Amino acid sequence: MNIPSAMDRADNRQRWIGWALFADLIKGLSLTLKYMFSRSVTMQYPDKEKWVPYERFKGHHLLRSDENGETLCVGCELCAKICPCYCITVVAYEDEKGNRRPKVFDVDTARCLFCGLCEDACPVECIAMGSFFEYSTYSMQELVADRDQLMQMPGKIDDGGYIADAKMHTADGVRVTATKKQDESWWDNIHRNN
Amino acid sequence: MPGTEVLIAAGVILAKVIIMAVILLLVPIPFTWIERKVAGHMQQRLGPMRVGWHGLLQPIADGIKLLTKEDLIPDQADKLVFKLAPIIALVPPFAVFVAVPFGEDVSLLGTEVTLYLSNMNVGLLFILAVAGLEVFGVIFGGWSSNSKYALLGSLRTCAQLISYEIPMGFSVIGVIMLAQSMNLVNIVNAQEPLWFIVYQPIGFFVFFVAGMAEAQRIPFDLGEAEGDLGAGYHTEYSGMRFSFYMISEYLVMLTISVLCVILFFGGWHGVLVPLPSVVWFGLKVGFFVYVFMWTRFTFPRYRYDQLMDIGWKVLLPLALLNILLTGVLVA
Repeated sequence: MNIPSAMDRADNRQRWIGWALFADLIKGLSLTLKYMFSRSVTMQYPDKEKWVPYERFKGHHLLRSDENGETLCVGCELCAKICPCYCITVVAYEDEKGNRRPKVFDVDTARCLFCGLCEDACPVECIAMGSFFEYSTYSMQELVADRDQLMQMPGKIDDGGYIADAKMHTADGVRVTATKKQDESWWDNIHRNN
Repeated sequence: MPGTEVLIAAGVILAKVIIMAVILLLVPIPFTWIERKVAGHMQQRLGPMRVGWHGLLQPIADGIKLLTKEDLIPDQADKLVFKLAPIIALVPPFAVFVAVPFGEDVSLLGTEVTLYLSNMNVGLLFILAVAGLEVFGVIFGGWSSNSKYALLGSLRTCAQLISYEIPMGFSVIGVIMLAQSMNLVNIVNAQEPLWFIVYQPIGFFVFFVAGMAEAQRIPFDLGEAEGDLGAGYHTEYSGMRFSFYMISEYLVMLTISVLCVILFFGGWHGVLVPLPSVVWFGLKVGFFVYVFMWTRFTFPRYRYDQLMDIGWKVLLPLALLNILLTGVLVA
């Protein structure tokens, strides 16, 4: 027979008093009240905020150019050969100055799995994967980026990994431009339950 | 030839009726916004933010959506009753507010205007009786839908509603004993020295929980939650008919809040700050509406057998105990 000790009886009494006064319900209610008055964790994308990705982020491809505006690409087709999805099409030609340049350089971003192997394979560090990811289109054909589009893509970002204030433009296509980096302390000050 | 006083009195009553009906029709609209915002912030998110400034136009967008939805009536449904049921669900909440006083008499344009439509000597009994009519909307909706799940859901909801009316009725007997009257204005005036919540904590608790069950709010909303899962008395309803049921739910919640304030929390009597009595009344009712929403987003819902157990085996004995204690106190 289990005779409760004095400490057990005191604990039981406390438990029963708590039961009678709905201690568990009050605990739940106070928790939701605390959550009510703490800052929300929502990131209001795309209306007011945008997550600027890290430098390592693999977004839309881009072709880098030198200071004269001419592409660095030498049309070696190494990126096309290493691509596991066969989404890069390169046709090389000889331009006026005798350099090997790409006549056709198509990247089918619908097929692409954004592995970054093309960036690793490029011997002149021309093709790279940038931080641009907001390029939704209404047709699959528009997802194929040709050489001129790739040369005009924004470059890799050199600082990233923060939430920035943003503004959404809907005039032609949907673009979200980040303006100002937000103060990071709010993330640390969110009420957490652990 | 009716005298001018009679005409003025009739005009005042007519104006009060119109104002009351308009307010009661418009009140669920901000309630839906408040509910979604409170839900969001209690869950550490924001709620509607896009439609207007901080989502203030969201109820209007919802209303437009409901108005433009296809009006589906099941083929074998009882068409007349099907169409009538949401309207029947909407009438008792409006009828209850006939007997409710909103504040002290105000003087408008030289005449004393009372802030109630009718000061019945059995006002509380009238309210409880009319609140019992809310069951009809549920039964008619479920029965006329010609759907097994709707029927079973409506019968369960109806059983829940009628079994919680009993503790609700018993819990206010303590208030009646203390105020010596069923007249709501007298009950509020009897609370001038001290609010009845001090004398009737058990009574308030029983009334509040039974009221939550009457309004089918979580944790007692098994009738509607089954609607999430594909059953319940308003399964077959879409568009504006469904929104009538939702409006009636918000109005019943408002009714219970109003009754809590009048019966237990001093009606329109202020605490420290001198404000007009209607404003105090509104603040207190708003607080109780917030408590309804607060409990909704905190607790899980009860299983049906647990729900019926609470109604019959917990609340009813507590209400009877409350009557006993109040009787000892008064004697």
